[in-house]
Amino acid sequence: MTVTDTVFQERKIKINRNDLIQKFAALAGLILLVIVFSFTSDAFLTTNNGVTLALQTTSIAFLGFGATCVIITGGIDLSVGSVLALAGVIAGMAVKGGMPVAIAMALGVVAGGLCGLINGLIITRLKLPPFIATLGMMMVARGVALQITGARPVSGLGDDFGELGNGALMRILDVGANGLPKVVFPGIPYPVIVMIVLAIAIAVLLMKTTFGRHLYAIGSNEEAARLSGVNVTRTKIGAYVLSGVLAGLCGCILMSRLVTAQPNEGVAYELDAIASAVIGGTSLMGGVGTISGTVIGAFIIGILRNGLNMNGVSSFIQMITIGLVIIVTVWIDQMRNRR
Amino acid sequence: MPAGGVDRADAVPGAPAAAIAAGRTTVPQDDDNILIARGISKRFPGVLALDTVHFDLRRGEVHALCGENGAGKSTLMKIISGLYQRDEGDVTYKGQVCHFQSIQDAQAAGITIIHQELNLVPHLSVAENIYLAREPKRGPFIDKKKMEADAQVYLDRLKVNIRASQLVGSLSVARQQMVEIAKALSLKAEVLIMDEPTSSLTESEIDRLFEIIQELKGQGVGIIYISHRLDELRRIVDRVTVMRDGRYVSTRNLADITVDDIVAAMVGRSLEDKFPERTSQPTDEEIFVVDGLSRAGVFENVSFTLRRGEILGFAGLMGAGRTEVARAVFGADAKTAGTVSLGGRALTIRSPIDAIDAGIAYLSEDRKLNGLAVGMTVKANITMANMAAVSNRLGFIDDARERQAAEKSVRMLNVKTPSINQIAKFLSGGNQQKVVIGKWLFRDSRVLFFDEPTRGIDVGAKFAIYQLLDRLARDGIGVVLITSELPEILGMTDRVVVFHEGEVTGILDTRKTTQEEIMQYASGVKRMPC
Repeated sequence: MTVTDTVFQERKIKINRNDLIQKFAALAGLILLVIVFSFTSDAFLTTNNGVTLALQTTSIAFLGFGATCVIITGGIDLSVGSVLALAGVIAGMAVKGGMPVAIAMALGVVAGGLCGLINGLIITRLKLPPFIATLGMMMVARGVALQITGARPVSGLGDDFGELGNGALMRILDVGANGLPKVVFPGIPYPVIVMIVLAIAIAVLLMKTTFGRHLYAIGSNEEAARLSGVNVTRTKIGAYVLSGVLAGLCGCILMSRLVTAQPNEGVAYELDAIASAVIGGTSLMGGVGTISGTVIGAFIIGILRNGLNMNGVSSFIQMITIGLVIIVTVWIDQMRNRR
Repeated sequence: MPAGGVDRADAVPGAPAAAIAAGRTTVPQDDDNILIARGISKRFPGVLALDTVHFDLRRGEVHALCGENGAGKSTLMKIISGLYQRDEGDVTYKGQVCHFQSIQDAQAAGITIIHQELNLVPHLSVAENIYLAREPKRGPFIDKKKMEADAQVYLDRLKVNIRASQLVGSLSVARQQMVEIAKALSLKAEVLIMDEPTSSLTESEIDRLFEIIQELKGQGVGIIYISHRLDELRRIVDRVTVMRDGRYVSTRNLADITVDDIVAAMVGRSLEDKFPERTSQPTDEEIFVVDGLSRAGVFENVSFTLRRGEILGFAGLMGAGRTEVARAVFGADAKTAGTVSLGGRALTIRSPIDAIDAGIAYLSEDRKLNGLAVGMTVKANITMANMAAVSNRLGFIDDARERQAAEKSVRMLNVKTPSINQIAKFLSGGNQQKVVIGKWLFRDSRVLFFDEPTRGIDVGAKFAIYQLLDRLARDGIGVVLITSELPEILGMTDRVVVFHEGEVTGILDTRKTTQEEIMQYASGVKRMPC
């Protein structure tokens, strides 16, 4: 028995080391990016750019949180880019119809949740593969958004509608010499606050609740979970509803930033979301993934875009770079698992 | 000759018999022998799967290979057919020592195996399957006409009404088997290994298969025939080799022996002292009653009772329906008829959730497949079936309570793990099994089905699990032990329910029965009066 015990010990140390490498490979990559970009561009490491960057990253992060939950169960949600457009458009049209902004946006979030519910029902009741079900929803939701708006942006939504997307906490203004207001500190934008709150809430959901535990159990071994009495159907539906709700919220915030409801918004955002989860160590095989990883993944994508932009790198080269980053990170992940 | 094929210099046609006669019977040295395997050993991590096994095959002979599950038959056949590499011993094929590196090597030399679970691609045609990976070509393209015409020749030779252009998926299992045989013919097989070929065939299909086997015999093909259906051996088999626990037992002419002789050789005489003393006493109180349980096409009219303090065994051959019955009781599969009651109360079980709520647990046969979430921690696995006990009403997990629960289980079951946060896949098989048991004990189950709980775990861990079964029974928990190992049935259970092809053929008092008797019920030779 001593022999086996030693083997366990050795293995354990090895695992921990590998885990650390994975976890910190992503974080180290993120820090490296910050260092490199702050040398190549003076404007990169400034408060203003930091705030902008965080704001830009929020939508990837919202969708990435949902993607993480879904991918942990071994599923995938391709519909979020379209669902956010539908949710934003519904919120915009509700405001146009005279509803208060808060209720209109709640309506948008509910619409997102409903799309997720339908995804979940199709996957668990009709037993279609998640890829197919959400691919269908991706087209349906986009089509509905375009149809109800006649493919035209809904504009003239008023300042209140823009508050959630453009407002900030603790914004400090000063009256400049020319009498115009001067921004001393841009404040923390509301979307960033929402992102922080959601990151903590969903991390707690995953780590501390039975629902979260069941997500991992299903992704790790669905049959074992079922035979252990986990309500697989309900848990899976929950994951897709969560993904839909987050997409709905993301849609409302995006449209609020534009103060216009764009039915064409969010195309291919689902791929950014999946990429952020995967870069953060979530395994497409299911059973593995953390919110902290996804936050890092989302910021890696955000910083790459922002930093490359500031250095005048064309958007095509940006795409190539992000694509390569995805491949290399997942390759590192696989190396870790192969061992 | 393919790489690693035959090495003429190593040929030992007249090796002295004494050097190889480690078994009880001398190894035949006939010149007729197309295939001779001598002193074959194969080790897997932690197990000696084959221990100096002998086997030989003559041209135009059907040679049956018999043994219980786990006796090593399949391992030996996989070595002969090139799928596994042997650790020790020699395989002599057509007078030359062979080292087949792959199935393709062996096939090219004329040795073909037809697996129990057929290896055909359902979405391709019959001809495409027969010529898979060796398609006849015209230039860069597949010569479909020639391929189908050639395939049809072999199908016609078998006198089966199958068109070469048909999709394999549209054929019945029996006809798919014929396709496999046609493929073997097309490979010019001189040695054909058939693993349980009749397990999914009807009577008339079996008749047709046996006719074909007779024809192949006439053509000089040597056939190795693995079957649990001892009653059918008489119709085609010339000789029988029996294996037990990875060892060679004997080779006899079928004409000289009876089915009982084979069974006796298969189960062996001695029951080693590897079981703990039973401390629980069965009472008369029936805690769990299953009546008339059926699942159409899988098992019929299964009834049994479980008494407080009793360990009830489920015996039978692979595929007899034992696991399926347990799964249906547990709600993992639908049942078509029958009732289940626990403690005198009839239960409605539609899903595992219902069964678990009622206090029934099922420890599955394949831990990695459906018992354990291997990527999760020991702690998460132990509490998985009873999250409610370690979380509050809102579903928030109480870390301290969960840790205590997991630590208590680990201590109680003596799980060897560096910590409760260890990922389950890094535990040994025995310790993984203890974690799964811990999961169900933490759920306060009243009836536990153990499906092959000791498969693939070492002797020491087995003993610990036996002790645990006994302790559970003593604590008044109903224990059902499903096992293919008859010594386990005899050593641990109070009564045994014997299954044969989806039916209960006997319920026996373990103290008054023998391995031979159980085997007779399990192979359908004997059955209790209805």
